[in-house]
Amino acid sequence: MTNTCELEVQHLSVRFPDGTYALQEIDWEVHQSETMAIIGESGSGKTTLLRLLNRLAEPSSGHVFIQGHPAIDQDPIALRRRLGYVPQDGGLFPHWTIRHNVCLVPQLLEWSTEQQHDRFTTLLPLVNLDPTVIADRFPIELSGGQRQRVAIARAIAADPPIVLLDEPFSALDPLTRHELHEQFLILKTQLHKTMVLITHDITEAFRLGDRITVLKDGRIHQIGTPQELLTSPATPYVASLIEHHSGLQQ
Amino acid sequence: MLWASSVLASPGTSIVIGSKNFLENRLLAEMFAQLIESHTTLTVERRFGLAGTQICFQALTNGDIDLYPEYTGTGLVTILDEPAMQDPSAVLNHVRSEFRKQWNLWWLAPLGFDNSFALALRRDRAKALNIRTITDLVGAAKNLRAAFGFEFIQRADGLRGLKNLYGLEFQDVVGMQQSLKYEAADKGDVDLLDVYTTDGRLAVYDFVVLEDDRRFFPPYDAAALVRGETLEQYPELSKILSLLTNALSPERMRELNFRIQEQGETIPQVAYDALRTLHLVKETQQTTATTTKESTSFFSYMWEQRTMLRVRTGEHLSLAGIGLLLGIALALPLAFILERWRGGAETMIRIIGMSQTIPSIALLAFMIPLFGVGALPAIMALWIYSLYPILRNTFSGLRDAAPSVVETGRALGMTEWQILRSVRLPLAAPTIMAGIRTSAIWTIGTATLAAFIGAGGLGVPIVSGLQLADVRVILSGALPVTILALVVDGLLGSIERFVRPRGLEVSR
Repeated sequence: MTNTCELEVQHLSVRFPDGTYALQEIDWEVHQSETMAIIGESGSGKTTLLRLLNRLAEPSSGHVFIQGHPAIDQDPIALRRRLGYVPQDGGLFPHWTIRHNVCLVPQLLEWSTEQQHDRFTTLLPLVNLDPTVIADRFPIELSGGQRQRVAIARAIAADPPIVLLDEPFSALDPLTRHELHEQFLILKTQLHKTMVLITHDITEAFRLGDRITVLKDGRIHQIGTPQELLTSPATPYVASLIEHHSGLQQ
Repeated sequence: MLWASSVLASPGTSIVIGSKNFLENRLLAEMFAQLIESHTTLTVERRFGLAGTQICFQALTNGDIDLYPEYTGTGLVTILDEPAMQDPSAVLNHVRSEFRKQWNLWWLAPLGFDNSFALALRRDRAKALNIRTITDLVGAAKNLRAAFGFEFIQRADGLRGLKNLYGLEFQDVVGMQQSLKYEAADKGDVDLLDVYTTDGRLAVYDFVVLEDDRRFFPPYDAAALVRGETLEQYPELSKILSLLTNALSPERMRELNFRIQEQGETIPQVAYDALRTLHLVKETQQTTATTTKESTSFFSYMWEQRTMLRVRTGEHLSLAGIGLLLGIALALPLAFILERWRGGAETMIRIIGMSQTIPSIALLAFMIPLFGVGALPAIMALWIYSLYPILRNTFSGLRDAAPSVVETGRALGMTEWQILRSVRLPLAAPTIMAGIRTSAIWTIGTATLAAFIGAGGLGVPIVSGLQLADVRVILSGALPVTILALVVDGLLGSIERFVRPRGLEVSR
């Protein structure tokens, strides 16, 4: 438990009622200001791992630590407000304006209206949106890319130290995805957040992740930097992942 | 409140007269009412058209009504559930002592006519088959189609007993409203029907009334059946009502019925006329009733009846509105609770859904032992009816409201209560309103049946129209119900658009 270890999972298993495992004997950690990409197929357990961090799921055995403290000892509601979250489809409330959506967590934390407005105005340029144009619009009036930018703005609105992203770019067209990747990298250098990014796209993982976790069937095959994965894949599965994306060698 | 004064019984110096839902019984009840009004200062409340003997009798024993016209044979066989007797005075003495002993109800002196059941056959069929008596009928019955009143089919002194005694077996028996049977038989759709021997239509239609040669039907002497407590409170009543003792012969009764059934005179008018002829009311007394049948167009009829229709519409709206509001008050919170405790939700909703499958008139009848007759049981029944669409829509709306959005709210640290209040509820609002709309239309339609248990409403003209076989009278109730349903649906539709959150569709 060093103070550079923002997220840590020890000997962790999640068992389904039928006895099979979603995750089995996982040891895993994420350092401060690091972007950890998790890559895996559907059913690999990657979303379960994410949900354990904000206590939307509980482990069958093992421990989860958030900023050095056992997650189990923390009030889940307060904990979640300290963890930013971006879902795949944006998850914007369709009946709320963009301003209302973005200011959700500040509002839950009972910031003053003025503080919320200030935050909204300074935040939106960070995701390349014009706050004056967009504040009173509804999500349905925005493009997919814009909605995802709003979702990212909402996740970091209350300035959480940690942000969890569950396949945030997978539903976008390639061009928009590329734009958002650029944006993400800029944000990363500006904000120094600890981030966990789930993806099933190895290119995305290599591009955005400082380190990459490869999950398959509830087990970790490898944790390493893109370079480590390229040069010394730990298992044949990792090797085949790399091979299928030979364009990764820069 | 309009509704409170007209629908709820007010105790004190008023007396409530009931009647069954056929013409002669209404006419007698109206004569009692006018007689009491002209000889006392009592206020008479008329609660006519209660659906059948059981409902009338229950209302009397509950004290919802003070008196109604009943027939001795019905008292003996239907109410006391005893075998028929033939001697009229023996029947009268027996029901008198039993009713007094069991319920403190008093039979006043008979009015002078016996309105028995009888079987009637189209004359051409009777001639061809050479049938004069019910015994003659036995051999031919399996080639005959019969239309009987619903109550007649069920009563021990009706079809059931008749079949046993004579060994009758018909080709086909259909249940039919009294006024429709005559036309059906006249057109030849059916051959045989049950009739009241004092029915005025017997003079018009060419039927042979079959002789009850084995004397199955008991005597049905008409008399006022009154609560003992009412007679104690108003001792003058028994003297006043006794003015009608033996005053009405069978011929006279048939003629009075005929004037209503076939000549389009109104019940109050004929009742007044009968009393005037007997010198029981003052000549100067005015009745506002006019001849209704064939004399005016539908719309001028509606205009003439505007006061009545306004009152009935008010009653109708009150019944349906209170039923619906109570339904919302229970179904909405229940749906919220079930949404939280999903485990039992489907079972619970299904149980409430089953209440929808109870036929409305049956549900109304079930309410009577619990709540008597009048507005209360009707509101209770409408309440039960209104629950299901609201509950189902609210539950499904809350449960299925944008699951991924709900999950995101949770992940960002909203409490379940905050999610319910600011996400599920607004997103479910249009679905919830749609459920309320369905309930409202359903309740307004079903409230017409309240007339059968004396709760008033626009069902009253519909029911009397059915008895008179007068389409105009039926329409005078049915048309306002339809308009009411459309207007309410329109209003709720605007509310639905209002509660639909912005942002659910592109608005610019």
